[in-house]
Amino acid sequence: MRELSLNVMDVAQNSVRAEASLVTITVTESDKDDFLTISIEDNGCGMTEEQVASVIDPFFTTRTTRKVGLGVPLFKMSAEQTGGSFSIKSEVGRGTVTTASYVKSHVDMTPLGDINSTIAILIRCNPDIDFVFVHTTDNGSFTLDTRELREVLGDVSLDTPDVVDWITEFLKEQTEIIYGGV
Amino acid sequence: MTTKEIIGKLNLDTLVEGDLDREVTSCYIGDLLSWVMGRAPEDSAWLTVMGNINSIAVATLADVSCIILVENAALDDDARKKAEMHDVTILRTEDNSYSLALKLSELI
Repeated sequence: MRELSLNVMDVAQNSVRAEASLVTITVTESDKDDFLTISIEDNGCGMTEEQVASVIDPFFTTRTTRKVGLGVPLFKMSAEQTGGSFSIKSEVGRGTVTTASYVKSHVDMTPLGDINSTIAILIRCNPDIDFVFVHTTDNGSFTLDTRELREVLGDVSLDTPDVVDWITEFLKEQTEIIYGGV
Repeated sequence: MTTKEIIGKLNLDTLVEGDLDREVTSCYIGDLLSWVMGRAPEDSAWLTVMGNINSIAVATLADVSCIILVENAALDDDARKKAEMHDVTILRTEDNSYSLALKLSELI
């Protein structure tokens, strides 16, 4: 995909379909150490070893009713083509962790893209699911945890326009800080 | 023009022989697979340097007539096996995409 944030969206939607109640998305990047790692962890229904093997097989995925699609094979390829790595660890009944690691300076590195919009859309479209987003750079780190937001909001839903606006603004401000004001 | 006729006229190497009687009605160039997946026209010749298993899946989804690996790009072993299994024709040339597309435009 032309930006990694779309891969994150794709995998997180798999988490939603797996009936997760909590999805944790972590982006850790460092120019100093030349890496970018994306992790999507959920507490959904999980997969057997065979199911994990099937989701990284493009032919298995393309021959079904496209519930999964080519998303995971292409996500894997995007990491490996930079000299990075890709893994899916899953346990039935416990959940799944998908991790893609990149060599950030590699010429074939796909841009991260608009990860903040991906997070905001996931929260807005799945107001009953909790999301934790952690973004770390050489300059610092921030966390958005919808469980903390719920404590403040009480009965107000996460897809309320004012809440969505606040989340969007929070992500923008925090990202500017960890990117050194750029 | 059929795939077989194009192979003969452009002197392409045949790495995997699928249905060589398929018509080639257009040409598409691209290496970003997710991009190609939704854009390569059916019955086109797809020019790329990506000779991996995901390329075969994209060719199947887009239903192109053939993949042409340009600039002598490599074909992975597992991609070759999947192409044979799914009847995907894979050709190869030393030309780059631009040169080959110019030649193809004279034929189709």
